[in-house]
Amino acid sequence: MTDEPRPNEMPTVRGDVSNLKLVSRATYIKEAALKNLFLLCAFMAVAGVALIFLFVGYRGWPIFTEVGLGDFLFGQEWLPTEGLFGILPLFVGSIVVTVGALLLGTPLAVGAAVFLSEIAPPKVRTIVRPAIELLAGVPSVVYGFFGLLILRPVVADLTGGLGFGPLTAWIILAIMIVPTIATLTEDALHSIPEGVREASYAMGATTWQTISRVLLPAAKIGIVDAVILGMGRAIGETMAVLMVVGNAPGFFRGMGAPLSTLTSQIVMDMPYASGMHRTALFGMAIILFLVSMGLVLTVRLLSRLREDVS
Amino acid sequence: MLLLAPLAGCSDNSSSLTRLIVTGSTTILPIAEVAAEDFHAAHPEDDVLVSGVGSSAGIENVSSGTSDIGTASRELKDEELNLGLVDTPIAYDAIAVIVNPQNPVTSLTKAQVKAIFQGQIVNWREVGGPDMAIGLVNRDEASGTREAFAKIVLDKERFDPTAVILPGTGQVRSVVAQEPRAIGYISLGFVSDDVSALAIDGVEPSEATVVNGTYPVQRVLHMFTKGAPEGLAKMYLDFVLSADIQESVVRDAGFIPITAKGAYGD
Amino acid sequence: MRDMKRTTNALALAVFWFAGLTTVFVLGAVILYVFVNGIGHISPEFIFGQPHGVNAEGGIWPMIVSTLYVTGLAMVIVTPIAVLAAVYLAEYAVQGRLVRTIRFAADTLAGVPSIVMGLFGLAFFVEGLGFGFSVLSGAFALSFLMLPIVMRTTEEAIRSVPRYIRWGSYGLGATKWQTVSRIVLPAAMPRIITGLILATGRAVGETAVVIFTMGTMINTPVLPTDPGRSMTVHLYMMAMEGINLPAAFGTALLLMAMILFFNLSARWLLRRNRRMQG
Repeated sequence: MTDEPRPNEMPTVRGDVSNLKLVSRATYIKEAALKNLFLLCAFMAVAGVALIFLFVGYRGWPIFTEVGLGDFLFGQEWLPTEGLFGILPLFVGSIVVTVGALLLGTPLAVGAAVFLSEIAPPKVRTIVRPAIELLAGVPSVVYGFFGLLILRPVVADLTGGLGFGPLTAWIILAIMIVPTIATLTEDALHSIPEGVREASYAMGATTWQTISRVLLPAAKIGIVDAVILGMGRAIGETMAVLMVVGNAPGFFRGMGAPLSTLTSQIVMDMPYASGMHRTALFGMAIILFLVSMGLVLTVRLLSRLREDVS
Repeated sequence: MLLLAPLAGCSDNSSSLTRLIVTGSTTILPIAEVAAEDFHAAHPEDDVLVSGVGSSAGIENVSSGTSDIGTASRELKDEELNLGLVDTPIAYDAIAVIVNPQNPVTSLTKAQVKAIFQGQIVNWREVGGPDMAIGLVNRDEASGTREAFAKIVLDKERFDPTAVILPGTGQVRSVVAQEPRAIGYISLGFVSDDVSALAIDGVEPSEATVVNGTYPVQRVLHMFTKGAPEGLAKMYLDFVLSADIQESVVRDAGFIPITAKGAYGD
Repeated sequence: MRDMKRTTNALALAVFWFAGLTTVFVLGAVILYVFVNGIGHISPEFIFGQPHGVNAEGGIWPMIVSTLYVTGLAMVIVTPIAVLAAVYLAEYAVQGRLVRTIRFAADTLAGVPSIVMGLFGLAFFVEGLGFGFSVLSGAFALSFLMLPIVMRTTEEAIRSVPRYIRWGSYGLGATKWQTVSRIVLPAAMPRIITGLILATGRAVGETAVVIFTMGTMINTPVLPTDPGRSMTVHLYMMAMEGINLPAAFGTALLLMAMILFFNLSARWLLRRNRRMQG
């Protein structure tokens, strides 16, 4: 998502100019109009981001002016019925859930990517690769449903609670982010020239040595990219988390104790919230928007770093 | 009979003039939905769309005009009194406190229930059960059942903030049915064989104890309109109050007909 | 020394095998679980029937119609814009601040959490523009979600068309637009369609966006201004209400079958195209 390839330029250095001599003025105007129309379409992406920011921001803005940035971001209690709109516990909840899912999911995903790219025999590969892609297509409600019926009772036995809480969410989210991280990591491994591997093997290195000392370090930035994007997916995931996390809007108290996150709290409260409570939910959406934008920006900066290195 | 030809079923949707929108309590959803189907069968030209979004949302929707009827399984709050809503009570209901059938506890006092849901009693041992941590299951804020429970049992004091919060009655029931340490509360209408309803202050929840007023955790289910009901809304409300729906649908859903108290001379 | 090296290697390889196979196993478990529990509930009455009764017995036809309607409409909205945007990026754009901004915006759009998109749809389409809870609001909100996906796959498709084909066209005196519309786009079409199908599959599985834009009412929508309940929202509500689990499994199975169908047909199209190109 960070490569910026060149447009397919025409054979001549200045294609448009050379064309100009051959075509009529009407054709030239038509071509120029079309070009601007396409530009307008491409600009819809920018307009979309701006619209989202403006409209969600417009609805959420009063929370910053009337409740105050400090009381909103760092308030320790989320009790909308009593006028307390502190989202710190929810923010912490989102981070706890995301970090846990990454810790569980990243090794599995990188392992699966290495397996696919370096180890799997072609036959196994033709089964595993599509499977991972399909795993990405399973709707989040289905994962939530699965977590609720299968994982929750198991976690309840493990932790001695009711099975709603971070541990269940970690496992479900880990499953959900594996495809994202695995496919991107595999792309990164693929982009390493074949000669690098050959050189390593020629020096007598085993497969493991080649993977751990040559390939993984070479793909490092690509893997970091993948993990950041997986993080974006995890922090923004809503329905699956909502269904298994327990939704108690307090601070983290253990793997088996219920917790709430920014996303799940929005869905829980939105149907009935009114007034400042509703505003607060839009304020939470702005925070989520900014966080996801920050992650995209980080990936961009990393890729610039990679270009500088190479 | 409900296997309507897909396109034939659509044609009457297209004229939105005769569409009634009913939103609100998930507790009332079964009554409202089945009544809507029967109503549509009786008046094929009219369509009633029902959605369960929680009592508070129902009240919000009807007062803002997003829906024609708002259903609520609780009384109006103080700030909702001046919205110009007109109440049509449609049924009585008891809120049952439920535990897992394996749990030997069968009866609690109202004070014990309050202490449990406030997090002051945290082990079943303290109320005569086995030595096992209590797993609290609470409902979300949108729930009328939660609001009614808070008002009647907790005297509007805070719930234990560490309780699991689930946004649906059925989920509360299935978690309690699976987990021996769990306790929750649901409408009497939803109590099934896989959970056991506790007696409160020695009184079992049932139609008789609700009607004679001895079961303490009971409430009225409401349908609200903005101003006096008229037109299609009035037709639908009259339909819900008809003996047909009251005796079959309301009773089948496990609630108590609104006419019952009159019959017992209360 | 050599033995240890060999043992370490074998151990490491075993771990990677484990990681790869675990992933497949998890997918298999999810699919098998839904399949085994749901297959018994799939019948013509379930697919084409109307829901009724206290426990949502009967069918899920209104949800199927709502789902296909909203994703279909979203695709109609997004396709021309996304494809032309990709044409601009691949054929016309010159590297610079403008293109960088557009790419950054597309990446940002792709990363916006779906719940944020849902609230945006609620604030902008449902309430701001007054579309109400409707298929139209849902489709517009979904099209924002699909835009970056379709843009990206289309751009890749256009770039994969060999350059010499363009040179031939220019050599015959064709203008840029003639070359793009008659030569490049037709050549890239199978891959563009593949991208569209994949984006549609993604939209079919979306919940948080449609729950706040299309609503939760059980209704068979006819006009784009009608409300509806998607299959994902239906599954969510049945799972949380805990009523009629067999029907919830049936819905989940149909939903997965739909998405699987989209994915497999995209894959099939791509493979057929590759073979045709040799």
